[in-house]
Amino acid sequence: MAYKIAIGSSDGKIVDLKFGEVNKFLIYEVGDEVVLSEEREYIPGEAEDNSADSCSSSSCDTKSCGGNGGGCQGPGNVAGKVELISDCRAVVCKKIGFQAQKQFEKKAISVFDVECEVKEALDKITFYYKRIDNHESLRG
Amino acid sequence: MAKLLDKQRYKCALGAMQTVQAIDRALPILHSGPGCAQKLSENTGSSGYFSPNIFPCTSINEKDVVFGGVKKLDSTIENALKVIDADLYIVLTGCIPEIVGDDSGEVVSRYEDAEKPVLYAPTAGFKGNNFKGHEQVVDAIVEQYLKKSDEKIEGLVNIWADVPYQDLFWLGNIRELEKLISELGLIPNTIFGYKRGIENINKIPKAQFNLLVSPWVGLGNMKKMERKLGIPYLHYPTLPIGATETSKFLRAVGEFAGVDKDKVEAVISEHEDYYYYLIGRYADLFLENRVINKQFTVVADAQYSLGITKFLVNDLGLVPAKQFITDDTPKYYRDKIAEEFKKLNFGIEADVSFETDGYKIHEEIKTHDYHGYPLVLGGYYEKEVTESLKGNFLNVSWPHQDKVVFDDFYVGYTGGIRLIEDIYTVAVQRFN
Ligand code: SF4
Repeated sequence: MAYKIAIGSSDGKIVDLKFGEVNKFLIYEVGDEVVLSEEREYIPGEAEDNSADSCSSSSCDTKSCGGNGGGCQGPGNVAGKVELISDCRAVVCKKIGFQAQKQFEKKAISVFDVECEVKEALDKITFYYKRIDNHESLRG
Repeated sequence: MAKLLDKQRYKCALGAMQTVQAIDRALPILHSGPGCAQKLSENTGSSGYFSPNIFPCTSINEKDVVFGGVKKLDSTIENALKVIDADLYIVLTGCIPEIVGDDSGEVVSRYEDAEKPVLYAPTAGFKGNNFKGHEQVVDAIVEQYLKKSDEKIEGLVNIWADVPYQDLFWLGNIRELEKLISELGLIPNTIFGYKRGIENINKIPKAQFNLLVSPWVGLGNMKKMERKLGIPYLHYPTLPIGATETSKFLRAVGEFAGVDKDKVEAVISEHEDYYYYLIGRYADLFLENRVINKQFTVVADAQYSLGITKFLVNDLGLVPAKQFITDDTPKYYRDKIAEEFKKLNFGIEADVSFETDGYKIHEEIKTHDYHGYPLVLGGYYEKEVTESLKGNFLNVSWPHQDKVVFDDFYVGYTGGIRLIEDIYTVAVQRFN
């Protein structure tokens, strides 16, 4: 079955962005082959409004932490970004904060915070999913 | 085909963290999922120095499955060395890192020059149970730490027995074995329990011989030490409980070590005199045949199944029903162990079954004719079935729910008396 993987990379070669720094996720679609299917832009504010996250009270001003990435990992910012890629099976970034990890966990989206080449990450993750989807051992 | 195993009596090989914990000031470093360690810990006492709750663990997750967990292992070892004051660190691997192919051995080898020894024992659960894991830990010490010694200490004997913590009486048993060995004029050396630890590990290569008191656990270790360290070994398969077996045991050790025969006999008769004095004082109790059951069954690992069967037949004159060995003894040891059950006094032979399935064991107990109420010595699992048969039950093997033991023991002359006390304490309650 086809699935998507969201990757945080500035050049498409190296996983070099922290989750908070990503403005545009590279979305790879994995079917018989692995293809870069889209670049999905994160527009602060938008996603938050229609996401029913835990941080809906007025005391949390999402705008204040919704700037251009910049490493803020406040719940509003996080929830929006999580929502943006909630159709993916996994997310790969250089670092992913605790808040975001928890949110992804809730949606059963796998989190891989690694620093490596995009290709390596895709190879390893697709190999892993292929094995477990077919109920094969991970050995060897 | 896959099958269900009911009431298994052991844990996975990673349970070897208990073996490490039994070595004074040794610390296991776990390369496993966070749940592994949690479910393997149990309440039979900690090391007295480290709480199992602080055992460093890589707590590997999905990411490490996909990308490998060696980096995490490296930093976990590095930080454990910094913040936890131990004499010996032993890295134990669970299933996941071994399945996905982490080269844990290579990571550990980076710490060869660390101030304290850091060793590595592969203990993935799919490789076997904690009896096997125990052997892996001892192997790791022999292979990665010990070196052959030209200097020997005359009369120094390394004593090895069954698995700490799995055996509720491990501490008391090994101390009592030490005591008996020293009465023969030999110098015992053990690595488990209070004030033993690294110094005693360092003495291992200087021993005159290894003494293994176990039906099979540790035999591989003995062979390894013979090859690598040039230490011969005496394998005494029966845990000596009570006078008959303990006297045999002392004679065997005395002969192997070249101890003067008269000296051995003097030690034996002193013990036997007191032993039979105690028995004699309670002759009425023993002769009152309504008190004790006619037939008994032991459900335990090989050491207690064999040791207690010999004791109850040879010393107490009871009749063995079927005996069960629940430790998943490797197949190639089984015939030899079954042979031992045939070497009982009065020409009696006991039937023994290597069975790990509690359901099957209970079915056999239920259908056997014990010629009255059964006496069952086993794990807590046997309590209910014994009670349903109105029998007498004593909890001697894992799982232990019915007994708290600090340093009590069943080995030796004194241990035999303790076991009689425990059995009769249960038996007389029937008449209260
Ligand atoms: S069998 Fe494997 S996964 Fe299970 S507790 Fe043991 S080491 Fe962990």
